[in-house]
Amino acid sequence: MKTVFVHPERCIGCRHCEMACAIEHSKSQDLFGMLFETPRSKPRIHVELGIDFMTFPNRCRHCDPAPCMQVCPTGALHRDVETGSVLVNYSTCIGCAMCAMVCPFDIISFNKVWSIQLDHEVNTKCDHCIDRQQAGNIPACVEACKTGALEFGDANTIIRSSRKDFTVRTTLALKGEEAPSLPPNIEAFRDIMAKVSQFGTLG
Amino acid sequence: MDKKIEIIVNARTTDEAAKVVLEKAIEEGIETVWDRLEAQQPQCGFGQLGMCCNRCAMGPCRISPFDDAGPTRGVCGADVDLIAARNLLDDLLVGAASHSDHGREVVEVFLETAEGKSQGYKILDETKLNAIADEYGIDTKGKSKEAVAKEVALAIFEEFGTVKNSIQFAESRPPEKTKETWKKAGIVPRSVDREIVEAAHRVHMGVDSDYVNILLHALRTSLSDGWGGSMMATDISDVLFGTPKPVSSYVNLGVLKPDMVNIVLHGHNPVLSEMVVKASREKDLVDYAKKMGAKGINLVGMCCTGNEVLMRQGVPIAGNMLNQELAIATGAVEVMLIDYQCIFPSITKTAGCYHTKVVSTSEKAKFPGAIHKEFHPGNAFDTAKEIVKLAVENFPNRNPDRVKIPNNPMKLMAGFSVEAITSALGGTLQPLIDVIASGKIRGAAGIVGCNNPKIKQDYNHIVLTKELIKRNILVLETGCAAIASGKAGLLVPEAAELAGDGLKEVAQSLGIPPVLHMGSCVDCSRILVIAAKLAKALNVGIADLPIAGAAPEWYSQKAISIGAYFVASGVYTVLGLPPKIFGSPNVVQLLTEGVEGVVGGKFAVEPDPVRQAELMAAHIEKKRKALGI
Repeated sequence: MKTVFVHPERCIGCRHCEMACAIEHSKSQDLFGMLFETPRSKPRIHVELGIDFMTFPNRCRHCDPAPCMQVCPTGALHRDVETGSVLVNYSTCIGCAMCAMVCPFDIISFNKVWSIQLDHEVNTKCDHCIDRQQAGNIPACVEACKTGALEFGDANTIIRSSRKDFTVRTTLALKGEEAPSLPPNIEAFRDIMAKVSQFGTLG
Repeated sequence: MDKKIEIIVNARTTDEAAKVVLEKAIEEGIETVWDRLEAQQPQCGFGQLGMCCNRCAMGPCRISPFDDAGPTRGVCGADVDLIAARNLLDDLLVGAASHSDHGREVVEVFLETAEGKSQGYKILDETKLNAIADEYGIDTKGKSKEAVAKEVALAIFEEFGTVKNSIQFAESRPPEKTKETWKKAGIVPRSVDREIVEAAHRVHMGVDSDYVNILLHALRTSLSDGWGGSMMATDISDVLFGTPKPVSSYVNLGVLKPDMVNIVLHGHNPVLSEMVVKASREKDLVDYAKKMGAKGINLVGMCCTGNEVLMRQGVPIAGNMLNQELAIATGAVEVMLIDYQCIFPSITKTAGCYHTKVVSTSEKAKFPGAIHKEFHPGNAFDTAKEIVKLAVENFPNRNPDRVKIPNNPMKLMAGFSVEAITSALGGTLQPLIDVIASGKIRGAAGIVGCNNPKIKQDYNHIVLTKELIKRNILVLETGCAAIASGKAGLLVPEAAELAGDGLKEVAQSLGIPPVLHMGSCVDCSRILVIAAKLAKALNVGIADLPIAGAAPEWYSQKAISIGAYFVASGVYTVLGLPPKIFGSPNVVQLLTEGVEGVVGGKFAVEPDPVRQAELMAAHIEKKRKALGI
């Protein structure tokens, strides 16, 4: 099963993924063209501030079984078997928001879409960039991420490499050696921002 | 106060007067800087870490903070050290240019005054004029003050350009040892403009590609600001408008008056505001205000223009950077006069929610939605009168139902120029040296810089200041930091009670506050001058003195230049917010460690104000030990 794996410790809140997502789902699929389209394409991945100025890129996990699919009264949500993606049929979505109520990650939002003329807003969650995947490309958000916070691939393979990394750090720690999981300068910056959050209004 | 609003207000500011007005602003749906900060979250990590370069059209480029993923060089080939250093120099040169362009404008007015072409200006401090003339080697004997002034003005102008390749104040004022370190490092400033222009040149693609070389030039550029542009602004303002002497006045939003025409003087350059002060005292305008139903005309300052007119004219001051929108939200401001720097571009939008008129006055700082009354020295007084008249005529448009002015303006004492401090000590700095040597006062700290909405307004300024005076460290302040202390009641002689026994005794015997308001942000140059005088008296360099600096709530490029000229002059300087360099461990290392071996000063980054005080006190004790005191 291929998925977009998130390494939250690597997210630095640049929102590049949001921009790439909006471009990918616009009519023109072009940054400058997108700005002149109505309705304006919106990101389906969301980078928001947590505590201590840390951020998390939140997107559809394409669960299986998917709670949203299970509760959808019109069957607008369905699964693409080949990629495992949970997709929305805009023409049958009635905007009832049942899917959003049960979503474990609260990532469903409702917007107008350019691809079909409707008076109402529909579920515009992540479609796993199914068109790109079918063309042999990785999702737009992953391609845009320059810090490695988003990684596309087989979940078990990705986890195996993270697990190996964890094992190395743990055994190093047993030996009494320091094994930081982040570069020291980034660690220092995060510590400073955690302090700034104590004296400010944010994070 | 509504519980929910109370929580928001308390998280945003510690200024009690501001809280009252912020509550009103929130209730009335007025957008403020804090709302905009929230809307900007999360802010881009590449930018915060200094790993983004948006300089040329091959980019924008960004470097990954993690070496196992993402690009390590920009399209041009710049690595993260170069990108972070170039960004920093770019920010710094903007700050240095802001101070220096301000200085140039003051010197322009000075020259036109010397030539009899300005309106309303006089040379007020002839003693200081003659002292500067002496420094420049200008013979004053038998010459009128105007003739001397003209020669001084032209001599200073020459140093903006590149003909001479030296700046007089940077020659005659610093101690020999400090100048030696500059010479050795190759960072003696050659002119005011040259360093700034060269800095802009160096950040172009394919020019300076060595981060160390770029950072050295950053230090040189900052020196051309601190000992050049800023110092010229300070000194010539003193000559024109008078060297500040201790003066008592009031501070916080409570200085606005419910029954008077309120004019807020906001920005940084006092040249026009000095004339507005004069105009507001004209009898015909005061009578006109009475005819319009007001009791009179009430001028108040804001930010550093406010500091300038407070220091010299005793004009009350409404607040620092984060108070500007709130002043308008009181509903009681007829005119906010703005010159330049630190004025929110949205200020006219804020004013649009009330009857307030924003009057812009500088050709280089126009604000859509403002009424533009351009400042020219030749008709400055007429322009000032026009602006006051506009305010008076706007008074009947005020809606009394929407006015809310906090009570209890705080008393403060300002005006501690180096001359004023020296005179308070009986004509020489020796008594200060004596109390430092005896240990009654452990040393001195300069707390400067801005407000930043990322820090609860004034919180870090005040906690740090209190922690330092408790440790018997004399605190010298300028800019928003000084206004913060004023609002918190630290700029009155009674605040000596909060100081340690030694500082308390000294402050009480002199009748001065333990925290001295030394002026606006260009007046950080006054702190350099007093440090230089102390070092010269002890025959050491500035880096040897038991002193330290801090910018606990800084936001502006000017603060980067100020921080850098303190460091380059040998001062250990603590920043309360991280500069955009943490993507480059090498740049961080150089500025927080390596640079000390070159110029004697270095930076530290520490957001916790108690910890800041501990770091500064430890540095001061280290220097005392080295001096054997």
